[in-house]
Amino acid sequence: MSNRIVMVLIAGVTIATLMTLGSAGDPYAPVMMGIILSCLGYLAVKSQSGTRNAQDLRRLQAAYEQLDQQAKLIIRTDLDLHRTQEELDRRLASLMALHDLAQQLRVGRRTEEVFAKLDARLVSVFGFSKGLLGMCPTPGALRWGSFVGISSQEAEALRADIIAGPLLRDVLEHPRPQTLSAAMTPDPAHQRLLKALGVPTAVVAGIVPQGGMPGCLILGRTGAGLAAARADEELVAILANQLATAIENSALFDETWTARQELERNVQERTRELGEANAKLVRFNNAKNDFVSAVSHELRAPLAAIKGYAALMARGQFGPLNPQQAERLAKIEKHSDALAQLINDVLDIARIESGRTPMASDFIRVEEFLAVLHELIQPQLAAKHLRYEVDRDGVTQLRGDAQQLQRAFVNLLSNAIKYTPDRGTIRVGLRREGTDIVASVSDTGCGIATEELPRLFQEFFRSNAAINQQVRGTGLGLALTKRIIEAHHGQITVSSVEGHGSTFTLRLPAPPTGEAPRPAARDRRGGQAGPERGP
Amino acid sequence: MTQNLFVSIGSSDRPEARRAGQEAAQQAAAGLAGPARLALVFGSSWFHQEQLLQGVRAVAREVPLIGGSTAGEILPEGPVSHTCVVILMASDSLRCGIGAGRDVHLQPREAGHQAALSAAQELRDASRTGFLLIGDGLSTGYGQVTRGIQDVLGTSAVIAGGMAGDDLRFTKTYQYCNGQVLERAVVGALFGGVTWGVGIAHGFAPISKPRCATRAAANVLYELDTLPAAAVYEDYFGPVAARRLREEGLTRSGSAYPLGIRSESADYWLLRNVLALQADGSLLCSGEIPEGASLQLMIGSKQLAMDAAAAAARQAVEPMEHPAFALLLESASRLKLLGREQAAMEIARIRQVIGRDVPIAGCYTYGEQAPLAAGTSGAMAVQTGSVLVLVFGGS
Repeated sequence: MSNRIVMVLIAGVTIATLMTLGSAGDPYAPVMMGIILSCLGYLAVKSQSGTRNAQDLRRLQAAYEQLDQQAKLIIRTDLDLHRTQEELDRRLASLMALHDLAQQLRVGRRTEEVFAKLDARLVSVFGFSKGLLGMCPTPGALRWGSFVGISSQEAEALRADIIAGPLLRDVLEHPRPQTLSAAMTPDPAHQRLLKALGVPTAVVAGIVPQGGMPGCLILGRTGAGLAAARADEELVAILANQLATAIENSALFDETWTARQELERNVQERTRELGEANAKLVRFNNAKNDFVSAVSHELRAPLAAIKGYAALMARGQFGPLNPQQAERLAKIEKHSDALAQLINDVLDIARIESGRTPMASDFIRVEEFLAVLHELIQPQLAAKHLRYEVDRDGVTQLRGDAQQLQRAFVNLLSNAIKYTPDRGTIRVGLRREGTDIVASVSDTGCGIATEELPRLFQEFFRSNAAINQQVRGTGLGLALTKRIIEAHHGQITVSSVEGHGSTFTLRLPAPPTGEAPRPAARDRRGGQAGPERGP
Repeated sequence: MTQNLFVSIGSSDRPEARRAGQEAAQQAAAGLAGPARLALVFGSSWFHQEQLLQGVRAVAREVPLIGGSTAGEILPEGPVSHTCVVILMASDSLRCGIGAGRDVHLQPREAGHQAALSAAQELRDASRTGFLLIGDGLSTGYGQVTRGIQDVLGTSAVIAGGMAGDDLRFTKTYQYCNGQVLERAVVGALFGGVTWGVGIAHGFAPISKPRCATRAAANVLYELDTLPAAAVYEDYFGPVAARRLREEGLTRSGSAYPLGIRSESADYWLLRNVLALQADGSLLCSGEIPEGASLQLMIGSKQLAMDAAAAAARQAVEPMEHPAFALLLESASRLKLLGREQAAMEIARIRQVIGRDVPIAGCYTYGEQAPLAAGTSGAMAVQTGSVLVLVFGGS
């Protein structure tokens, strides 16, 4: 608009000047002159203002350019900040992923399971788009444990290419992660790998555990550049080390597992062998018992005949006897009785062992039981002037087979009497310990030699005590006692101090309280069961 | 009479694709009272896509289904990854037509036309609410796709949607249509019998001086102020960063600094990502650049992005009386800008606007499509860097 005014003014000045020049002396000439001067003045002012506007415009343009330059600075700074933030986020996520992986790998896993651990989350968190984790079961062989971002066919083609070339060997010899770039690497094997993966950059690392199966890790990046891939070498190295450690642990785990399996197999084998041996022993023992029973039975009949004829002869059935004959017949009878006792004991042991003599499970009144015992041994006690003490400590009941238990106690008491010198003391004690009744038979006799104690309950064992040289015995009394106590689910032990006496301790299951006891057996047979310590 | 819309969401991050799809669909089905009328499926591109869809279809057998791979998934709690999200919709009034168009990279208009035509034929003469579009995120001709859809549905049709992603790998994206996994395709669902509220915003601000697109054709920008466009663009980053950008490819970093086209009728900038610096000195952009348009380089900030999300949510929920579900289709570049923590806060802010009891789910995309203010052509409305909030309600 202003330009148009200026043009009009210039045209007006020009016309006015021409008219003024053409009409000199005209009364309007001064007016025209005035107009001309005014216009010239206006033009002069306008010209000055235009110059100022142009300068302002130039200044504005410069400021505008400056602002645009500042925008560039802002964008560059923003880009740097973005990159830094992104990189930090990615690294943090990678470290978190490594931590998670470490947690997962802490659990004992098989080697194959470790190699199957590469998944999409791990690959993407590390900033890659493709990944393969392979194991080398034998030198030069490669099998993928897991792969991400590529198809099975692509993975197989890649595997075939890798094992055909030097890449696998190189990676296992130099396991440290290395970045391959399509733009930088001259190595044809690397170029082929990148082409097969379809990525411009990749990081390849070897997994070389101290023990266990080696392998390799390949991670490919589609978008980011070489710098980013190189920055990841450190993280990939941590990942590869973590996997190597897991494989080492896995190998140790496998080894331990195999050893444990082997041990378990051995234990089972030995147990089976022991079982077989035990069964064989049981069979032998049963055969022995059967044999002993048979022989004993066979011996009983002629022995009875011998005894019978001897008795008849002793009564003078076959004519009068001279003193020498009578004496010999008395010896025959005495030895026949001893032999009969031996046969009975042998038969009883065989019967108890084979389970053919079942033990009753009766409640026994202790008071009656002890009274019967005392009655049975009283003559022997009296003969040696022995003191007999009983302490039943409130125990009122026993549970078991009264007849067999009496037999066991009579054996122990007879032994005690036998090995205790005149005027000694025999003690019977009873007490309750938890669910057991503990009975003891003690004497103040000659005691037993320490080396003899382990063999004391063996059949036919007789101690070397001097008295045994004078008194005959079968050596079956304690063996039979032990069988009776064990048949009651009890235990018998002995302690002795040579020259001071011995204590036999019986531990029997206690009867439950509140049940009515049964009267003690009055069978005297128990008292005749060869009260011998040793044969 | 008001017809309610029921929506149920299921998700799974199991590594096995089939199990993930099945589990997500089972979860969604368990939360739905009536029979599902439509399934929207968003799956991480890391999944084996066919197996994923088989898993979903094992549960939602005959339910019409559309969806696509993503650059991250969105759940009410925040952004997630390596996850399958299944959204099932049920309503007596809801009607849907499903369609797909192939070869969107070669014939975008035909692809859009085909998808819309199939969907319209399925929906027949039911009232049309709008067309939900899911397309290949690596194709760029969405102006033409929109025109193809408008050829069928008319220029007044509401077209909204997002472009499938592949977790920022930029190699291949997938689109789901019923039981099929497609590539280089667009799929869409034409809705009837429900109401929609659409809101879109980006939160980027201009930072450079305006420059004139003196030579441009379709989505290729040749010259800015008569200078080679690539040189002008690169100059803003400096030689070192520009070299790095070239090396890495602009698809990753270019989204942080898009070009803004100022809308003539509103105080609004349409965004165009720069996808590549081409050998002839031109810029390949994510959408059409009109010749003669005034362009400015844009920059984002977390605060602006958060404010934009709230604005989009307000815009979407404003016309809705009873919002039943909010579908969130958000640019992957915004997730990069915000980071996971702030992205979760952003979703919380959207929920605050829409209503905390309204179910919300969606995914991160490579492009967003929505109608903008009046006077903006549909073709122009395809953009990037934005958050699209699509609120569904009963009829």
